[in-house]
Amino acid sequence: MIKTIKIACLLTGILTLCVDATAQQSNPVEHDQHEQHKTRNDKHHDHSGHSMSQESGSASDHLHEHNKDHSIVDKTHEHAIDHSQHSDESTEHGDLHHHHHMDHDHIMDHEGTMIMGQNIDKLPSSCKSISEEKEITVRAGRKYAAKFPGTMFAFDQQEWRVKPCSKVTFHFINEDQIRHQFMMHGLPKYLYKYGMFHLEVTGPKTVSGTIIVPGSDDTFLVHCDISHHMEKGMKAQLVVGKGGENIPSIPGLTPYNINDIYEAENLPKVSDKAEQSAVVRQITTALTKSDTQNYLMILIGALVGLLSIPLIKKMMPSKKTEN
Amino acid sequence: MPNPILIVILIFYLAFTAVGAQASLLLPKTIKVDRAALTAEPPCDPKISPAWREAQVIDGVKIEASPGCNPDNPAWIAAAVKGTNNISMDTLMKTGLSPDTIIKTDDLDGDGDPDRIIIKLEVMELNGKSPDFPGILPTFDIAPGVQPGAWVFAPKTSGMSTENFESVRANPLLRLPAPVIRVEQGDIVQIILENTHYFPHSIHLHGVDHPFTHKEHGGNDGVPQTSEIELMPGERRVYEFQARQPGTMFYHCHVQTHTHLSMGLAGMIIVEENRPNNWLQTLNIGGGHVRHPSVAIREKFDQEYDLHYHAMDKELGDIIKKYNDPRLIARDMNQRYDITDSTEDYYTINGLSFPYSLRESLIIVKPDQKIKLRLLNSGGETIAIHTHGHHATITHYDGVEHNPVAQIMRDVFDMAPAQRLDLTLDTTNDGKHSYGEGDWLIHDHREKGITTNGMAEGGSMSSIVYTSYLGEDGLPKTSHFGIDLSNYFTQEFWQRRVPIWQDLDEVASLGSPAGQIISMDITTQNYLLNALYGLVAGLLIYFIFAKREYFKQCAMAAISRVRSDKGSKQS
Repeated sequence: MIKTIKIACLLTGILTLCVDATAQQSNPVEHDQHEQHKTRNDKHHDHSGHSMSQESGSASDHLHEHNKDHSIVDKTHEHAIDHSQHSDESTEHGDLHHHHHMDHDHIMDHEGTMIMGQNIDKLPSSCKSISEEKEITVRAGRKYAAKFPGTMFAFDQQEWRVKPCSKVTFHFINEDQIRHQFMMHGLPKYLYKYGMFHLEVTGPKTVSGTIIVPGSDDTFLVHCDISHHMEKGMKAQLVVGKGGENIPSIPGLTPYNINDIYEAENLPKVSDKAEQSAVVRQITTALTKSDTQNYLMILIGALVGLLSIPLIKKMMPSKKTEN
Repeated sequence: MPNPILIVILIFYLAFTAVGAQASLLLPKTIKVDRAALTAEPPCDPKISPAWREAQVIDGVKIEASPGCNPDNPAWIAAAVKGTNNISMDTLMKTGLSPDTIIKTDDLDGDGDPDRIIIKLEVMELNGKSPDFPGILPTFDIAPGVQPGAWVFAPKTSGMSTENFESVRANPLLRLPAPVIRVEQGDIVQIILENTHYFPHSIHLHGVDHPFTHKEHGGNDGVPQTSEIELMPGERRVYEFQARQPGTMFYHCHVQTHTHLSMGLAGMIIVEENRPNNWLQTLNIGGGHVRHPSVAIREKFDQEYDLHYHAMDKELGDIIKKYNDPRLIARDMNQRYDITDSTEDYYTINGLSFPYSLRESLIIVKPDQKIKLRLLNSGGETIAIHTHGHHATITHYDGVEHNPVAQIMRDVFDMAPAQRLDLTLDTTNDGKHSYGEGDWLIHDHREKGITTNGMAEGGSMSSIVYTSYLGEDGLPKTSHFGIDLSNYFTQEFWQRRVPIWQDLDEVASLGSPAGQIISMDITTQNYLLNALYGLVAGLLIYFIFAKREYFKQCAMAAISRVRSDKGSKQS
């Protein structure tokens, strides 16, 4: 088993070396990430670090991402790709190798784009096989908070449902110009360090990562852990099968544990300024005085009471007959 | 019947109270607070390795020794000097910084140091309300248990904003004050503000030579009334400058400045003189000792310290502890909070108050040294910093050198809000510059400056301590005088629950007197009250039940009367 993995690693390593070399010679092939590639090139200041060979540097970056995103489909071992590229870059681009970090569950590029706790092949003990393969696109940004008053950041959806034992690839699209995270908690710790799966990216940019969900029904917290992003709306849940207990204070989905107290504000209104005759204005101002309002309410209450007398009268005899 | 029972209980209670009050002819006894009842902390943060104090070289960056209790993480310093783009992945992982936080490239003048500097800052909230549990997060203490609501510019980080998922304590990079920024004269500097906060913000570079507008990035002065619109949550803005003059300067948020500055969005920015091979420590996180000083400073001084004085209003910070909804926080801060009716409650040096200031902001000196002190007052009032045992020389006001022949020596340094002073502290024992070795206080001499929400001794107090007076643990040696600082390291002290003089003598002559009334804690009081409510409710039910026939009759009578009235009307 280990041997075959080793061979696979070696092969993919050689393959990426070849592809890398060709990519550096020719123009980068059109990928679905072309747009990001462009925006990255536009930001010259971010790339001035690659002064030694900017063009090939970004090309290999591009390729690197390409590989990252398709490695799952290609059934290759991701870490192997990273390692081979790593050594390649270090010889070719000097300092560039510093930008790519990886150990068994932590992959990071030079802009801080991060995949942590990814699991593409280890089956949870509660699963015999993978039930289905699913791709979920998650968008994050301030604009998704617009439909939830009193929040500032949000995901485009607040709940995702998957089958137990399914292999889920999340494409996390950050549409803001700051960092956001897609952080999942409570996963089995023997497969996921600290029970966490974590995607992080500074937008506008996309990062993808894969997990295999456990075989039992459960609900997992998904949030952005940047200070007060979760508190201000960036919170959701992943429901596996029938799900477990709901996570509180997800915008539009579950109630808050602790609520703020809201009171009516004395806000200026257009109607305040509307042209009114002196008499009408006098009457309305008199009526809006709190004392008058109170008396008015008492009067209304009394009227309601008087009107309801016949009703009570009707009810009383019927009770009597029951007795 | 229950009535006699109630009466009996009442009589017994009154009798006991009377006996208690009459018990003795002596005044009440002194109750000494048991040390074991206090929530005590070790004087040094146990999470910080003593190995960080040593002089060391990381990734080729020389880092000076810093013998204080809680020195800066040496990996932070290495990353700040070389840039996060140039250090090893291993070092970067020890910082918690994002790989693009500090990008240093292009030696434009060919003098051996990078001249294009990019610094990325985020805006982080500390001690804000959670909708999930009755508490605040991420927590940051300026003194034990003292957690004012605050906002800071933080270097762009990677990962969680708390220490870990189980903890609510802030990641060490998220702290007061905003980091001290150091750049070189002539560097092309970009400060990129990534607004991760839920409110609009900006950066104003007070005193730094910067263009009012930049041809690529637009408005560059950070003022929403003159040069640019507010930077909204989720957005990014570049502030670019190439400073022609060196000096100690100031950067802060200029959106709703009367609240945002006090909330903590303020930091020092220092332009260092241009020198060959001048790799600067771009960020001094948490201020204090500069462990990799610039070439110009090393030419003239033995050591350098950044001392950022700040003041915060408790009532202002409490707004983010009261509400979670950003609209309510905005309403209370912008429309209801009135700074003209406010008072400052927390006084900090480098983001902390005494005794935490002893952990990080000691000025640790040896005899016959010359030390560069850079002071900033970002509070709302003038302060008066007094150096015990020393007269220091003011060399620069607001980043501009004072005429060398006219420079003066003082021992009280008054600083208006936003003012900067550069001081030279000379530890030559001549009775004027220094009176000799010791653990000499340095404090704001407005007396409220040595309090924390009115509780003394707190505030921005720290010490100029000679190494002969420094203990193994990095704190000043005080125990040989019989001094015990452990009370200051308890939460109860700052909750005003410890009689501070109780331990000054054996009999605790200034301890806390016992109360005279039969003391009853709140839970038993509640039990008894609830029992009483139950009794009353029971009596009421019994009364209604017993008299139910009477009530029925009354109701019937009323109804029949109404009916007959109506009947008569109809007829």
